[in-house]
This record gives sequence, structure tokens and C-alpha cells, in this order.
Amino acid sequence: MSLTFGQVIALIGAALAVALPGIGSARGVGLVGESASGLITEDPSKFGQSLILQALPGTQGIYGFLAGFLTIQKIGLLSGTLLDITPFQGWLIFASCMPIAIVGLMSAIYQGRVAAAAIGIISKRPEEVAKGITFAAMVETYAVLSLLATILMLFGISI
Amino acid sequence: MAIVKMEKMHLLALKNEQSKLMQTLQKTGIVEVIDITEDENEEKQGHKEDRIRDEIAKELAELEAKLSDLKFGIDFLKPYSKSPNPLIYGKPDVKKDELSEILSAESKIKKSLQVVFDLDKKIVHLKSEESKILNQIDFLMPWQGLDIPLEQLGYTDKAAFMAGVIPRKSKDKLEEKIEENSLLADIKVIGERRDDLYVLIIYHISGKEEIQNLFKEFSVTIQDFMGLQGAPSEIIEQSKKRLDEIQKEREAIKTQAQGMTQELFNFEVLYDYYMIEKDRKTNTLKLFDTDKSFYLQAWIPKERKTYITEIISKITDMVYVEFTEPEENDDIPVLLSNSKLVEPFEVITELYSLPDPRGIDPNPYMAPFYWIFFGMMLSDAGYGIILSLLTAVALLKFKLEGSGKKFIKMFFLCGISTTIWGAIFGGWFGDLIKIKPLWINPLDNPMAVLIVSFALGVIQIYTGIILEGYKNIRDGHVLDAIMDQGFWLLLLTGILMFVFQPLAGIAKYLAIIGVVGLVLTQGRAQKNVLMKFASGVLSLYNITGYLSDLLSYSRLLALGLTTGVIASVINTMAKTISGSIIGFIIMILVLLGGHVFNIVINALGAYVHSSRLQYIEFFSKFYESGGRAFDPLRIKTTYVKLEDL
Repeated sequence: MSLTFGQVIALIGAALAVALPGIGSARGVGLVGESASGLITEDPSKFGQSLILQALPGTQGIYGFLAGFLTIQKIGLLSGTLLDITPFQGWLIFASCMPIAIVGLMSAIYQGRVAAAAIGIISKRPEEVAKGITFAAMVETYAVLSLLATILMLFGISI
Repeated sequence: MAIVKMEKMHLLALKNEQSKLMQTLQKTGIVEVIDITEDENEEKQGHKEDRIRDEIAKELAELEAKLSDLKFGIDFLKPYSKSPNPLIYGKPDVKKDELSEILSAESKIKKSLQVVFDLDKKIVHLKSEESKILNQIDFLMPWQGLDIPLEQLGYTDKAAFMAGVIPRKSKDKLEEKIEENSLLADIKVIGERRDDLYVLIIYHISGKEEIQNLFKEFSVTIQDFMGLQGAPSEIIEQSKKRLDEIQKEREAIKTQAQGMTQELFNFEVLYDYYMIEKDRKTNTLKLFDTDKSFYLQAWIPKERKTYITEIISKITDMVYVEFTEPEENDDIPVLLSNSKLVEPFEVITELYSLPDPRGIDPNPYMAPFYWIFFGMMLSDAGYGIILSLLTAVALLKFKLEGSGKKFIKMFFLCGISTTIWGAIFGGWFGDLIKIKPLWINPLDNPMAVLIVSFALGVIQIYTGIILEGYKNIRDGHVLDAIMDQGFWLLLLTGILMFVFQPLAGIAKYLAIIGVVGLVLTQGRAQKNVLMKFASGVLSLYNITGYLSDLLSYSRLLALGLTTGVIASVINTMAKTISGSIIGFIIMILVLLGGHVFNIVINALGAYVHSSRLQYIEFFSKFYESGGRAFDPLRIKTTYVKLEDL
């Protein structure tokens, strides 16, 4: 099976949409995990609350995966027969993958930093953890918007 | 419904009936005693007054000491006991005669506390001994090969026997030097660790000075065994035996602690009993008293007024009770009262902040939105059913209390919403069970769902603005309501109507009225005419705020899609594996694990983002937070239930 240029471009787009937010989420989740471990050594009972905070920056990776999945579904890879894609269409698909790829990468890291800082809230004032979660969710808005942009662009491209 | 109206209770009664009255009030659990000692003039309080206060303070200190001892006992015994988790199975009920039995056996309980202290001391002692022994073993390990008893090291008449540590790389050079100077010495390697060799050095006493100089040159350290006796291997052997003994002693302590279940229960009952007494005493310090009488101020829910007067009049006739409305600057505590369906959602507001006592309770308005949004974001009928089933089981089987119970109830209700939305979107474990959607599959037509999301957003934002307007009208600021909320509603409605072609004609006028109204009125706080106009124009900038609020609701679509797509990914993955019997088993495992993961991660997302829409988009429009929770003097226990005290 030989791939056309358009198909390759589209696949690179899908790969980036999965990979970059995945990297970001790994970094973000890692950041929170580090500070959470510090807290758990002091007070193991805070595990549940910390875990929620740690899960927050993980969503970008899921959004990226989602975008990548929709893309390969779009180009027919999942059904076994790749659709014929012109270079122009390939670039369109590539472009539509970019919002979540880029914003997912960055926002996951920033969100991780906010969530890591919120671990401090759990240690000192555990009853206020909802506020920390809200701060972190503020960052996620942009990942959600970019995912939406990616999806809408993707659905708008006709093959 | 909403925020419970509070009134101030003023109670004047006789001193000798104080403790009886306080006990009764504590039992009812509906009054929050106000600390009035700070308001009163210091001079008014005579010496007698102080003496009474000191007495209570002394009693409090005694209680405090007892409580901390009991707490220690409980914390010590708790890990050893297998008592059921009170969070799940509820607190055990303690009847009156059971309590008096425990109270009468207090001296015995004190003795068992002493036993616990001794056990703890023993454990600490064993632990320090163990670490000492472990250090010793570690220290002697490299010397294991030395077969001379340690006390025999040192000088004899003619020779010296020294144990030393020498850097590995210096050993050969040292031996060369000894050879060169033809000294009578021998170096025997006993053991090694990292870069060091552990050696026994034997030399003739005649060469002592030179040898010691060489030691310095090649940084040989002479080991001091600090009075240890016997050969190292023997010492290690004995130490290990002692370690085994320590382990056995620990086991013995453990079995003894495990056998103290009844004692643990007694500690818990006593702890709660004294805690109640402490609460009462602390609140007694908030009263204002004279020689023969005392004066108490407390907050009480308005509707409980007659109930409390009845209760008090049963105790004594020599009492005067009066109720007053709260004054301007009073710090009114907040108690919420909502219908059964709304109540579980109070946790969402509580996690944000309680409402201002003079504001409005957002819960009745917030709850339906939260419910709808949660369901729309999780939006899978299968997941909804699982969520509701699990939480229903938890509610029926476990004796949950407080906010934990509210949380579970909320998830139960949200599970129902999730099921409904799942049916609307045709999501049953993703595409595992193919049932035609009641409306559409969002993957087929995301734009339609996006429009629904925005429509829900518009409704919620409008509700927020209208609530703020209602608050203004309620407080008598009708003009403010028209200018600050009315014009905005006009403008926003006008803009929205532009979307629908046939309405565009009216829309223009609505929007223009709104804009003109806003420009003319929003600067009314400014003094300068020019500034009035400038602020008015600038206020239009808020329109971007409303726009971004509205766009934020697009997450309803995005998170809904996430659940559905990930579920179908799991299904696709599972299907590709199936075929053989092993494949079938793996398929089932993939389906189980995958969907559990998807439920957890997306329920968390739905919870977080639905909360966020309330906190940021909805509450910002009208909500005044900053209330203080109503915390009445009541029978508050940690471990057991002491209802009939």
C-alpha cells in the first residue's frame, strides 16, 4: 500500500494531535504528582483530594487522543481503506489538528502548575479544595475551546 | 425555602439553673450562643465574675487534659481494632444505662488508659533499641571475619593488634612502604565495603612511631569498638537473636492491643461525653452573668421560636425570654433549607462559599442547571444507570452522614440526568448497544448540539441577571434593576434575535434601546458629565464578558463528545481482539476496564466543569457569598451516638 502525500500530511496531523497534548498532560500530571507526594508523606488521608487535582491536567491528553481518533476515522484508516486525500485536503486536516495539538500541550503544563499549587490548599485548608479545582479548571477552558475548534474544523472539511 | 430567617433570642435566668438550661439548649441543638462578653464593658465585671470564669476555665483545662489522654488511647488502639468504619456503617448507638455504666467505671478506664500509655512507651523503647541494634550490626558487618574477641585488640608486651580502615588504593602503597623501611608489620584484610578495606594490622612495638606516621600518611583510621566484647560474628549473632525477641515482644503487644476492643469503645464513649461537656462549658463562657442571674444571647431559626420557649418553660418559670430581629451589623449565621431534590446540590455551593445571610440562596436556581449540565457532559445512558445504581446501593447500605451523603445523593440524581441525555444522544456504553437516539448523535451533527449548549447557556445567564435584578427590586432599588439589569437584558436579547432573520427588525430597536440606556445610565456614579458618558460607553465593553461566558458553555458539547468517542474507541479495540475464546475473555476485560476508566475520568470531568459553569458563569452574575455556617450548640460526637443523654 503506498500512501499519497495528502494522506501522510493528514496522518502527521493526527499523530501530533495525540502526541503533543499527551506530552503536556504527562508533564502536568507529573508536576501535580510531585507536590502531592510531598503532602502525602505528611498526611496520607489527603490522597483522595490530591488525586482529583492530579487528574485535572490529564484531560488534555484525552482531548488530543479524541481529536487524533476522529481524524483517522475521517480519513478512513479505521475502516481499513484509506480514502484518497489530495495534498490540499491533507493540509486542511493537518491545520484542523493544530488547535488541540498546540493548546493541549501548553495548557496541560500550565494547568499542572496551578493544580500543583492547589495541593498547598489541601495541606492547609482542605475544605477549600473546590476553589483550587476551579482555578485549575479555568486553565482547561482553553483546551476545551481548542478541542472544539479542532472538531468543528474537522467536521467542516469535506472529503 | 432558601436561607432560613434567624432571630436573636435573649434569655435571662437564674444562675443556679444555668447548667440545667444549658444542657437543655444543647439537647435541642437549634441555638447558636453569641459571645457577648466582648461587647460588654470590662469594668462591669466584678471580681466575683472573674472567679466564676476562672472556675470554668479550670474545669475546661481539666476536661482538655482528659480528652487528650483519651484521644491518645483511641488513636493508639484504633489501628489494632477491626471495628466497622463509622463513615459506612454509622456510629454505634449508646443508651443511657450503658453510658452511666461506663461513667461509673471511670477509674477502671483510667487504669486501662495507663496500660495503653505503658504499651506505647514499650513500643517506643523497642523501636529505639531495634534501631540501635541494626546500626551495630551494620557497623560490625565488615568485621565479621575478625576472629579475635574485640576486647583483646590493642597492645601486648611486644606487639600491637589494631583493627583499621584503609582506603583500597592506599593499601598496596602502605605495604610497599613497610617493606622499604623493613618494619615488622603485617596487614590482613578482614572485609571490605565500597572504597575501604577493613584490616587487622599487627606490628612489633619497636616500630610504633614510624607505623603511626605511615597511618597518618595513608589515612588509615584505627577502629574504636567502644567497649564491645566478643568476636564480631558472635556479637552479630546475639544481636540477631535479640532482634527476633523484639519482634516477638511486638507481636505480644499487638495481640494485647487487639484484645482491648472493649476498652477502645469505652474510651470513645468517654471522649464524646467529655467533648459534649466541653462544648457546653465553652459556650457558657460566652454568657454574661452577675451574682445570681445570667444573660444569654443566641441565634435561633425563626420558625423554632415557639418550640424553644415551650422547652424552656418546662424547665423553669424563673426565666425571661425575648426574640428580636437581627440588627444592621449583626453577623447572622446561615442555615439553608431546601426541598429534598435541591438539597444534595447544596454541597456544590458549600464548596464554593455559603451565601451572604442577607443575599439569596442560589441552590434552587443552580440545582436544575447543574443537573442538566452534568448529564449532558457525561451523556451516556449506560454510564448513567451504573452511576445511579452504585450510588443507590451506597445510600441504602451505608449509613452516610453530612456532606458525604449529600454528595452521593447528588451523583444519584445526576446519574438519572446522564441516562436521559444518553438516551437523547443515543449513547449506550458508546456504540456498544445500538439504540437509535431520541434526538441526534452529536457526532453526526455537532452544530445542532452546540446550539443547544449555547441556548442552555443563554437561559442560565439570563437567570443570573434576572436574579440580580430581583435582588435590587427586593431591596427597593427598582431603578437600579431597570438600569443595570433591564438594559442589559434588552441589549443581549436584541443581539440574540439578530440570529433569527425574521426578528432582525425588532432586534435592531431592542439593541439600540439597550445600548442607549446603558451609555446614559452606567456612568451615573461619576460626578463629571464627561466621565458619566465615558463610563457609560466603556460599560459596553462588558459585552465581551457575556460573549466569553456564553462560549464557555460549548464545553457541554465538547465533554459530551469526549465520553462518546472514547467509549466507542474502547468498543472498537475490544472488537478487534475477539475471535477465539481467549480473545473473547480479553475482549470482556478490555470492555470492563475501559468503560470503568471512561466513567471515572468523565464523571470527574462532568463534576468539575459543571461546577465551574455555576461558579464562574452563573454565580458571577448575582451571587453574594461570604456567609458563616450556623453552628448551634448541640450534641456533637465523633465516635458514638449519645442521643438520650
